[in-house]
Amino acid sequence: MKRRSLTNTLLFAGLVLIGATFIVPFAWQVLISLSSLTDVDLLARTGFPPVLRPGNYAQVFEKVPFARYFFNSCFVAGWVTILQVITSAMAAYAFSRLRWPGRDTVFLLYLGTLMVPGVVLMVPNFAIVLGLGMFNSYWGLIIPAAFTAFGTFLLRQFMLTIPTSLDEAAAIDGAGHWRIFTQVILPMARPGLIVLAVFAFLGNYNSFFWPLILVKDDNLRTLPIGLLAFDSTYGRETPLIMAGSLLAMIPPVIVFLVLQKYLVRGIALGAVKG
Amino acid sequence: MIGSPGRRLLIALAFLLPNLAGFLIFTAGPIAFSLGMAFTDWALTRHNKFSDTPIRWVGAENFSRVLTGDESHLFWDYLGNTLFLMLGIPVGIAGSLAVALMIHADPAPRAIRARARSATLAVIASAIAVIGVWLLTTPGPVPIAGAPGAALSAEQGLGDLTVHRVAELRSNAAVLATAALGAVVALGLAFGSSFFRGLYYLPSLLAGVATYLLWKTLYRPEGGLINAGLRPILSSIQGAVASSPPWLWYALGIALWVLGAIWCVQLLAVGAIRLSNRESGIAAFLGRIGLAATLAACLAGSGFLLAQLPARSLFASGYAPLDRSALLRAVDQLMSTMPDADESELRLAVASLGDAASVRDAIEALTVAAPRTSGSAEAVRRAVITQARPTHDGLTAGEGLSPPQWLVDHRWAKTALILMGIWASVGGGTMLLYLAGLAGIPPELYEAAAIDGAAGWKRFIHITWPQLAPTTFFIVVMATIGGLQGGFEQAMVMTQGKADTIVLAYYIYNLAFTDQFQLGLASAVAWIMFAMIFAMTLINFRFGSRLTNE
Repeated sequence: MKRRSLTNTLLFAGLVLIGATFIVPFAWQVLISLSSLTDVDLLARTGFPPVLRPGNYAQVFEKVPFARYFFNSCFVAGWVTILQVITSAMAAYAFSRLRWPGRDTVFLLYLGTLMVPGVVLMVPNFAIVLGLGMFNSYWGLIIPAAFTAFGTFLLRQFMLTIPTSLDEAAAIDGAGHWRIFTQVILPMARPGLIVLAVFAFLGNYNSFFWPLILVKDDNLRTLPIGLLAFDSTYGRETPLIMAGSLLAMIPPVIVFLVLQKYLVRGIALGAVKG
Repeated sequence: MIGSPGRRLLIALAFLLPNLAGFLIFTAGPIAFSLGMAFTDWALTRHNKFSDTPIRWVGAENFSRVLTGDESHLFWDYLGNTLFLMLGIPVGIAGSLAVALMIHADPAPRAIRARARSATLAVIASAIAVIGVWLLTTPGPVPIAGAPGAALSAEQGLGDLTVHRVAELRSNAAVLATAALGAVVALGLAFGSSFFRGLYYLPSLLAGVATYLLWKTLYRPEGGLINAGLRPILSSIQGAVASSPPWLWYALGIALWVLGAIWCVQLLAVGAIRLSNRESGIAAFLGRIGLAATLAACLAGSGFLLAQLPARSLFASGYAPLDRSALLRAVDQLMSTMPDADESELRLAVASLGDAASVRDAIEALTVAAPRTSGSAEAVRRAVITQARPTHDGLTAGEGLSPPQWLVDHRWAKTALILMGIWASVGGGTMLLYLAGLAGIPPELYEAAAIDGAAGWKRFIHITWPQLAPTTFFIVVMATIGGLQGGFEQAMVMTQGKADTIVLAYYIYNLAFTDQFQLGLASAVAWIMFAMIFAMTLINFRFGSRLTNE
C-alpha cells in the first residue's frame, strides 16, 4: 500500500508539472499584455514588468475596431451554428427515420464527401461565392459553412440510437412526421444537438482560411483575421497584440466550461474530423 | 411506415431539402467543379469580365507542370516541409497516451476531495475578486517596484533598474509562479482528473491565431521566454561541451534514438499482432507488410527527429544568420557571372530581405530579381551559398553556445512549429480518445493479470496497449490525414511562409489567391493532396472499420 501511495504522489507531481507547461505561456502572455512596449524586452530578464498597465486592454479597442471583430466572430459563428444544427437535424431525421427510394445512395454520397479535404473545396467555393455575389459579405461567411455532411452524419448516428418504439407510439396516436420530429426526436437527441453545436461554434469561431480569402473589408473581419491584420500593422506593439489575443480566447473558454461534458462526449464518440 | 414510394420521397425531401440544397451547392457541386477546374488553365487575372480570353481545357498539363515541370521543385520542397512537420505526430501521440495513462490513474487522493474543493474555490474566488477590484480602481499604470512612474527603456537596458529593484521584480515573478503552481495543486486535489483533463485540453481548445501569436512572442530570439530559459542552461553546459569530443553528443543522440526505437518496436509488434490476427492468408500478409512499412516510416521519421535534436541544438545553434554583407558579396559575385543582371534590382531584393534572412529566402528573392535566363537560378544558388558560408561553427572562442533563432532561421523554424504543435495537441482530442479507450478496457483483464503477477510495464504491454490498438490505429490515420492538410495557419501567422515553412495547403493558397489567382493550377495541387489522403482513407477502411467498431 505504501508503494502505491508513493507512485500516486509521483504521478500527481508529474500531472502538476505538465500542467505548469500549459499555464506558463498563458501567464507570460498576461504579463506581456500588462507591460509597456519598452518593458517587454526586459521582461525575459526581470520576470515581471516594473509598471503594470491595465490600460493596454482599452487601447486595443481604440487602435483597431476590436469590438467589431468580436461581434463579427460571434455573429458568424452563432448563425452558422444555428443553421447547421437545424438543417443537419432535419436531414438526419430523413436519413435515420424515413424510408424512401435512393436513401442509401444519397447517404453514401454524403459520406464520400467527408474524406475530401477542405482545401479542395476552398478554390471552387471561392469561385461560386464570387459568382453568387457573396464575396466580402456576411452571407459569404455564413452560408457556405451552414450545411455540412459531417453534422448530418453525426446526428444520424445519434438518432439511430433512439429507440423507434417512441415514434411508433406517437405515430399510432396520430402524430405526423413534423410532430414526431419536433416533439419526440429532437428532445431525445438533445445531447447530440449540443455536441454538434459546440463543434460548429468552436470550429467557426477559430475559422481562418475561409474568412482570410473572402473578406477584404475591415468591418467584416472576424477575430482571427483581425488579429493577424493587427499583428502585421502594429507588429511591434506586442503588449496590445497579447491583450487582444487573450480577449479573443474568452468565448471558447466559456463555451468549454459550460458545455465541457458534451464536448468530451462528442470527441469520445470518435466525432473529431481531421 | 405507410404511403406510396412517391409520397414517402416527398416527405423525405421536405426534411432533406434545406441541407441537401446547401450540400449540393457548397460541397458536392464544388468537388465535381474542382475536378473539372484542375484540367483547365483558369486564372482570374486572365479570365474575368474585363477580358474575353476563353478558359482552355489543358488536359493533364497542370499536373505535369506541378509534378515534373520547371516549377516542380516547389511542390516537392513543400511536400517535404509538410512531411517534416508531420514528424511531430508520433511524438504527440505518444505524449497523449502517456498523459492519458497518468490522468486515468487518478492519483489525487479521494478522501480530501470534498473539503479541498470548497476551500480552493473560496480562495480562488476571493483572489479573482481582489485582483478585479484592484484593477478596476486603478485604471492608470501601476508601478510595481521602486519610484512610481519611473519608466524604463529597452535601450537603457537594465542600467536604470537598480539591483534592488530587479530583485524586487524577480521576487514578484517568483510569487506569481508559486501562486500558479499552488493553484494547480489545489485544483488538482479538489477536482482530481477532470481538472487536469480540462487544463490539458486548453491549448487545443484555443489553438488558432491567438495562440500562434502567443508562441511567436515566446520564440522571439531576444526577449522571448524560451531563449531566456535556454540561455542559462546553455552557458552552464558550455564548458562541458567545449571540452568533450563532438562525437559524444552525436552518440548521445543516436543512443536516445536506439532506445526509443527498441521501445517503439516492442509496442508496435504487440499492437500489430492484435490488429492483424483477424485477417487471413494473403490479406493478413499484405496487411502486415503495409502496416510494418507505415510504422517503420513513422519510426524512422521520429528517430531522425530525436537524433537531430541534441546534436543540432548544441552545434548548429551558433551559426550566424545570413547577414547583409554576405548578401551584398553574393550580389557582386552575381554581377561578375551574369553581366545582363540588373544590379539595382538585386540590391533592392537584398534590402527587402533584411538581416537574419536564411539562405533559401535569399536565393528566392534574388532569383526573382535576376533576369529569367536559363541557369540563373543555379548561379544565384551558387553565389549565395559560396558567399554566405557560416562564419563560425557554434563553438568559436568567446562566442559560446547561443540558443536558436527559431522562427527566423530556416533550420529551426519547422522544429519550432513542431514543438508548438506537440504542446497544442498533447492534451487534445487524441488524449480524450485514449481516455475513452482506457475507460473501455474491461477490469477483469487487469484482475487476471494481477493474479498472474503482471504489473507496471508488463501490464501495459500485454493488456493496455493491445486493447488500445484500434484507438491508436484510428488516431494515427486521422492525424496523418490532418497533417497532410495542415500547417497553413501556423506558417501564415508565425512566419508568413518565410524560413522554409511553406506547406502544401499554403502552396494552394499562394497559387489560388495571391499569385495570379491560378484557380486551375491550385485545384490540381489540391487533387494531388486528395489522392494522398484518399490512400490513407483506403487503409483506414480496409483495416479500421472492423477494428474501431468493436
